[in-house]
Amino acid sequence: MKTLATAVAAALAAMALGLPSGATAQERTVKIAGFGAKSGVVRSFGVNSEAAMLAAAEDINKAGGIKLGDGAKGKVVVEFLDDRCTAEEGISVIRRIASADWLVAVGPTCSNVAEPLFGILQKKVGDAGDSGLQMPVFTDVAIKGGLAKISEWAFRNVPSEATMYSSLFNHVRTEFPQVKTIYGGVEEDFAHSRASWYAVMKDRANANGLQVLGESKWLLNDTNFATQVREMKKANPDAIAIAAHPFTTCGVLKEMQRQGVKPKLLIGLTSSSSLETLEGCAKQAEGMIIPTSFAPVNAQATAAAKSTAKFKGNADLHSMAAWENMFILKGVMESENVLAKPDSVQADRRKIRDGLAKLKTTDGLLGTTRRTADREAEKPYVFVRAKNGEWTVYHNPL
Amino acid sequence: MFDLLQSILDGVMFGATYALIGIGFTLVFGVMHKINMAYAAASVGGAYGGLLVLVAFKGAPAWAVFLGACLAGGILGYVVYLACFHFIPLGSPLATLMSTVGMLLLIDEVIVHSTDGMPQNYPAMFDDVMLQVGELSIRGDLLLIFGASVACMAALLALLYRTRLGLATRAVSQQPVAAQLCGIRVAQVNIATFVITGVLGGLAGALIGASVGALSPLLTVPLTVKGLIVTVIGGLGSIPGAIIAGLLVGGFENLFQQFRGVTERDLYVMLLLFVFLVFRPGGIFASGAGRD
Amino acid sequence: MDFYYGLAQIIGVHTLLGLSAYILLLTGQVSLAQAGFFAIGAYVAGMLTVLTGWPLLPALAVGGLVGAAVACAVGFPALRVRGLMLVIATLAFGEGVRLFFFNFDYQIARGDLRVGPLGGEGFRQIRYFPENGWTTLEVMLFIWAIVATVMAVLWWFDRSRYGAVLRAVGEDEVAAQSVGINLTAVKVSAMTIGGAIAGIGGGLYAHYTTHIEHTSFNILVATFALAYPIVGGLASVFGTLAAVVFVQGFLIEGLRFLGDWRNLLFGALIVLAMNLRPHGLIDARVLARLARAFGGGRRA
Repeated sequence: MKTLATAVAAALAAMALGLPSGATAQERTVKIAGFGAKSGVVRSFGVNSEAAMLAAAEDINKAGGIKLGDGAKGKVVVEFLDDRCTAEEGISVIRRIASADWLVAVGPTCSNVAEPLFGILQKKVGDAGDSGLQMPVFTDVAIKGGLAKISEWAFRNVPSEATMYSSLFNHVRTEFPQVKTIYGGVEEDFAHSRASWYAVMKDRANANGLQVLGESKWLLNDTNFATQVREMKKANPDAIAIAAHPFTTCGVLKEMQRQGVKPKLLIGLTSSSSLETLEGCAKQAEGMIIPTSFAPVNAQATAAAKSTAKFKGNADLHSMAAWENMFILKGVMESENVLAKPDSVQADRRKIRDGLAKLKTTDGLLGTTRRTADREAEKPYVFVRAKNGEWTVYHNPL
Repeated sequence: MFDLLQSILDGVMFGATYALIGIGFTLVFGVMHKINMAYAAASVGGAYGGLLVLVAFKGAPAWAVFLGACLAGGILGYVVYLACFHFIPLGSPLATLMSTVGMLLLIDEVIVHSTDGMPQNYPAMFDDVMLQVGELSIRGDLLLIFGASVACMAALLALLYRTRLGLATRAVSQQPVAAQLCGIRVAQVNIATFVITGVLGGLAGALIGASVGALSPLLTVPLTVKGLIVTVIGGLGSIPGAIIAGLLVGGFENLFQQFRGVTERDLYVMLLLFVFLVFRPGGIFASGAGRD
Repeated sequence: MDFYYGLAQIIGVHTLLGLSAYILLLTGQVSLAQAGFFAIGAYVAGMLTVLTGWPLLPALAVGGLVGAAVACAVGFPALRVRGLMLVIATLAFGEGVRLFFFNFDYQIARGDLRVGPLGGEGFRQIRYFPENGWTTLEVMLFIWAIVATVMAVLWWFDRSRYGAVLRAVGEDEVAAQSVGINLTAVKVSAMTIGGAIAGIGGGLYAHYTTHIEHTSFNILVATFALAYPIVGGLASVFGTLAAVVFVQGFLIEGLRFLGDWRNLLFGALIVLAMNLRPHGLIDARVLARLARAFGGGRRA
């Protein structure tokens, strides 16, 4: 009985202990929460985003911090919470963040967390009959199309695949005149990849005069691609576009090598332009072209990558969006006169939301990003190509 | 017509990987009458362990990595036994089931933490060999896996029926109390079972990794499910059953995929399992009278 | 406080999930199919409130009924297999349900939006709670009213003949048959009740996450459904509750301060719990002590 009581008490204490506490009255800290997946196959995303946010916070603090509304200086404090890529935990995490004194949350990683999470936010600002959460969420990674319009408190800084692939296929039409036909490979059970092929790549390829011969389908943890690659071989396309994540992309590429399928052009999914694909199958991915919203093409991009590496994170289009978000938030906080006082938390959150909504352009590492009316982003991009085990910039339309 | 045949052949060959995993599941079940849900995870874990060979000796040949995987698998098998079976009383099958689930989660997380979840390139043997039989082509490395399954089956059957350890194992599986009365140390037999299936699992994991070309934590849960299905269809405790069931499941998978597409494929595999459960609940090779 | 209310909501729904497996475990049936009934309840209740505008309580009730009906249909073939074969058969069924919803499209136009389940993309915008102005506290109280009712019903079963019959079948089928207990009726009824509970839980899940997709009902969920009653102990319904609090409250939320180690400890602590307390956190001995401390008299 006593042991049971102590066990229950300890459990309750641990539950309470876990809740982030409020800031002390003396130092003015600007608390920005990060959250995303640090478990499972998507762990690298969380690790990289956290590193980018910590690196950005360090840079901001070194340069004097954030100028607050009453003239004081605020030190940026970042904490990253793991939502394990599950909807319930993501919702729990955002409630935890909202219950404490974090001013804004950057995340999540997974689109299947973003969608439910945005769903519990207040849909329209100021709607008294809507009991949704009033917490600004600024997404760095979750890329499934059209999510930000679910709530006016949701903002995203993710690349628009429609724009990038439009440009890519336009480029293909002019630079690769020998490529006339294209065949697709798509991960059917992952909403992002699926939408990317059917709604974006296929559509844009057609629009640019390429004949789409069809597509092969598989599931995200499939391991046998013989049938699918055989279909590709039979179709004999000039180009193959693979809308899948690194694990199955590598599986398909290796099967293609085995069956001797060598298209003139290989196109990949935006998310696959990361270290993961190269770790898995650098040799087979040689020559693959992917449009991406980050590559170290200028001084500030390289510097950001170096700072992030100090915190043991990799700089790619996902983590660098988190980096950009930090600086965008700094700008918004300063222009909206955020106070960062213990009693101004909800007011600050509203100011941040309104500030983000007002933005028409933001500074991206690759150039100016345009913000759209439904709170999404149109980011500048480059095309990268896998060469000798590295993603090198192949075409820079900037 | 040839497309269909080729598709089925591809599936059957890939089914050799399921066969390998199935052998381990069915063996543990046959001896201890308990399911080890952590088996596939331990096998994949063993395969990852094999990669440590590459870390230590850059450029080591594929077979060295496979050997390392066998070793790591054996060690993991022992750890799983210790954590999930040794201390829990035999009369609590639910407790061992849950503890193996906990072990599955733990092994998964350890893999994710040490590799940050990223797929790891895996060395392969004969992965560029394609044999041509008329119009049909067969993957060389899958043939190797099939050969390995048969070899493992032969080795295990020899072990079970020709050695003292095998005798003791069969005794324990049939009548643990009587076996103890005859002086057989049940704990030792169980440890041996886990280590041997662990070694087998490590080899299975390594060969699967080689056939896919990359290792990823994504492999653990689907392999667990396939392994369990193969075990049931083949007959709980029957090693040749596991092999045949593995090939069968692989072939049907591709057949269903050909006809109904990839999104409905697994649905039909489940239906196949139900058909077996209804018409032949003991599996293809129903094992001797076993309880539960 | 919002966070604690949210956590209580999660604990409530997971308790329902656990209880649906609990009642089956009492009869000795280890079922990994509960996530399937959970999914059925979720999609049915979601479709009723979103597509046809039903109020929540009737939608949940129908979700539970459909779950019960499917469970009843599953209960009969499930009699043919036992022990670990049943585990795998129910696992396959659960996966089958998930795959069904993976392929299930049913959208209607609502103004310029299309609403309804869309196969792999899931079923979005199930916004009954926020649209009707329910606060987190109100949702939590609603969920717990349902959970308390279900727990009360199961607790009452345990004190009545039905509970004794369930446990008798679980302990020794042959002996139970020999005293005239109809095995079929008992097992199928347990499966049906389990399906109903899971269906209601699923309906609640759909509404408080606002977006469901086939991956929300995968093998891991099915395993957790089973884990709660096993880790908690089969002696009483409070065992399952204790296990849910242990897993969701302590392991998942309470250990956050450990950062990265939390995930590693998750599996390890479950293994430890099973080794230290193989009959569950609240087993018969603990229950007896609690009964003596609170009740004084002997349990019926």
